[in-house]
Amino acid sequence: MILTVDLSSDVPLYQQLRDRVVEAIAAGDLSEGSPLPATRTLASDFGINFHTVNKAYELLRQQGLIRLNRKTGAVVIAPVANPTFRADWTARARTLLAEAVARGVPADEVLTACHDVLHTFNASQLEDTA
Amino acid sequence: MTLAIVLCSALLALVLAIGLALPSIADPTVPFGVRIPPAHVSDPAITKQIRLYRGRLLGSGVLAAAGSVTLYSVTGETLMLPLSVLVLVGAWYGCFVLAHHGIRAAKAAGGWYEGTRQGIAVDTELRTRPPRFPWLWLAPPLIITIATVLIGVVRYPSMPEILAVHYTANGVPDRLAVKSVSTAFSLVFVQVGLTALLVGIAAAIFHSRADLDPARPAGSARWFRRYTVLGAKALLGLAAMIDLGMLASSLLMWSGTITPWAPLTIVVPVLAGVLVAVIVLARNNRDWEPVEEGTGLVHRDDDKQWRGGLLYINRADHALFVPRRYGLGWTVNAGNPQAAILLAGIAGLITLLIVLRLGR
Repeated sequence: MILTVDLSSDVPLYQQLRDRVVEAIAAGDLSEGSPLPATRTLASDFGINFHTVNKAYELLRQQGLIRLNRKTGAVVIAPVANPTFRADWTARARTLLAEAVARGVPADEVLTACHDVLHTFNASQLEDTA
Repeated sequence: MTLAIVLCSALLALVLAIGLALPSIADPTVPFGVRIPPAHVSDPAITKQIRLYRGRLLGSGVLAAAGSVTLYSVTGETLMLPLSVLVLVGAWYGCFVLAHHGIRAAKAAGGWYEGTRQGIAVDTELRTRPPRFPWLWLAPPLIITIATVLIGVVRYPSMPEILAVHYTANGVPDRLAVKSVSTAFSLVFVQVGLTALLVGIAAAIFHSRADLDPARPAGSARWFRRYTVLGAKALLGLAAMIDLGMLASSLLMWSGTITPWAPLTIVVPVLAGVLVAVIVLARNNRDWEPVEEGTGLVHRDDDKQWRGGLLYINRADHALFVPRRYGLGWTVNAGNPQAAILLAGIAGLITLLIVLRLGR
């Protein structure tokens, strides 16, 4: 799994790392049981602070996407979209869509963009979650 | 004498050929150890520096060869010949530094990194599913080393009571010693140490930190996997050739054979091993895959972690080996405390070898 971070972005590095892992799970590059490198190893490979990776992993753990274990390290777990998550996600999606509408992006263009993004993820992944 | 001239000329030609070829086989986004954005790889300033570098190096090569031959013909001193190789290596570094500073100046003046999106790419599978170590390639150096030890042990009782333990550069023994375990097995100890060192380095490069191109990370990661395995095979092949040379030299010593061709038994296999390793690494030193869909990112400007474009010092980086920025293979992270131990080991073994066989 390739992880890339943009150093000139306004998004903090730990958030970018968290986002890339979520995208990799959505694309099927990471599945349940897939290991992630140890915090120090990943920090060294990125040439960034150990605490940045630690913060990203902790965020993923809190969101129920990975399990952290002293022995096995960070491992992807089967994510569960419970009602709380769905409500939270809908609220965030609403804000994101509102930004496009507020700037005058036509509704069909918004829908096409959503459709295109969804199809960049693994097809089987979409079927599984349907 | 003729033999020494031929060997030194071959070595000089090899060093010169590598030096002249390096700008073509090195990563074009790191010309002379200066990180630049891909949009500037064909900048006239870089083309000019490459032309100047090659001209200077070629001139230095001709002068070094002519100078050493002249000194040799005047003094008759064979050591003048390998001196030309050292002089050329020094001149090579000088040419590199001039080109390095020329490009750094152009990069700063032109603000080449302004407006770019700098990024970092990591392939996590290089850690969770690393490339496989070529275990089969470990067999030749191990078998030859074990065979050398066994042959030595078996032949020890029948070895001459006086052994030649020191040679001139022409292969004439100039120091003899009474047979003992330390004298008879002096080369074997070096052989075991060198084999362990090269095998250890081959294993360590599998833990090195990949330096992926964030503009095309997937292709870059595939290339790094291939290059790591090739690098390990080249090192293990080199270890086997060195072991072969050491075995042959030990056999000459143990049988009491005196021949002017004695230096060839070690020099030829080592040179052949180095030549093959250099060719293999040079042919694969760059990722020649077609460019995939770009990410829009460029490699971050990491010049400050590379002193003079060659020496990598980063205490925050736990990796002992990192891909060499300019040149072939890997280099050590001088900011890692283990690097000092490794370099001391290499220096010790080389010194021991020179003192035992060729020193004066």
